Amino acid sequence: MGILIGEDGLPVGKKSTGGNFKVLCIDDSQFIIKQLSQIFMSRDFEVVGTAINGKQGLELYKSLYPNVDLVTLDITMPEMDGLETLQKIKESDPNAVVIMVTALGTADAVKEAIKLGAKGYIVKPLDREKVLERIGQILK
Amino acid sequence: MRIEYINPFVEASFDILNEILGTSVKRGQLYLKKLGESMKGVAVVIGVTGQVTGRIVFDMSEATSLKLAEKLNGEKFDDFNDMARSTIAEIANMITGRAVTKLDKEGLAFDFTPPTIISGTNLNIYESEMEALIIPLDTGMGIVEINIAFKE
Repeated sequence: MGILIGEDGLPVGKKSTGGNFKVLCIDDSQFIIKQLSQIFMSRDFEVVGTAINGKQGLELYKSLYPNVDLVTLDITMPEMDGLETLQKIKESDPNAVVIMVTALGTADAVKEAIKLGAKGYIVKPLDREKVLERIGQILK
Repeated sequence: MRIEYINPFVEASFDILNEILGTSVKRGQLYLKKLGESMKGVAVVIGVTGQVTGRIVFDMSEATSLKLAEKLNGEKFDDFNDMARSTIAEIANMITGRAVTKLDKEGLAFDFTPPTIISGTNLNIYESEMEALIIPLDTGMGIVEINIAFKE
């Protein structure tokens, strides 16, 4: 399931096999969810769900399964944090594609997330082009 | 408070605000604040643990917080609503995250809590055995004071 790259070098949210990439955004910040949704929708990704904590996000992932191609997951959240959520999503679906979104660049939490099966991470503040480039690299 | 613990927060505040606002943020003189001195109206509190125990407060007036939220969202807010609060909390989160990343690179282990927002008039913070260092930043949309109190 490769991703198409536009003439500008940035990914377009369309699968090479047809249809749009479906994204679930889990973040306790409404502001970050809004920013990510705008970035994804500007490139034809379909944001199929948003959740403001890990617990809600996990339930949403399970109810949307198999119609989620990509999860963006915040690390620092109340209730259930990003690492625990990642672990539970991967237990439920080992093939889940999860990208961490974090304010931390090098901390242990990021390394732990990669160990737990995250495909990569995006560091905030979110820059539209950098986010799309990173998503393109991860999904290609 | 050790300067090597403080500097990453000063640099991160400066860098993140410049990056996200696209303006030239100016730093004022650092000073110490007496306990119980009143806050400006909107305070984002982040707890810090690890090499130190303490907290950072990002302190600004409601007018400044609204201007910052409007700039980052590209829309006008009539009041300090959920989206405005979320935006201001996220600025504090990004600054703290960048600072903790810098500290991590120096081999200093710090961790932090999700941000909590407190707003209202006549806000005061009372702490025992702690003195707060204030870093005033002129964002061009009003002053944001980074108020740091760490105990080793």
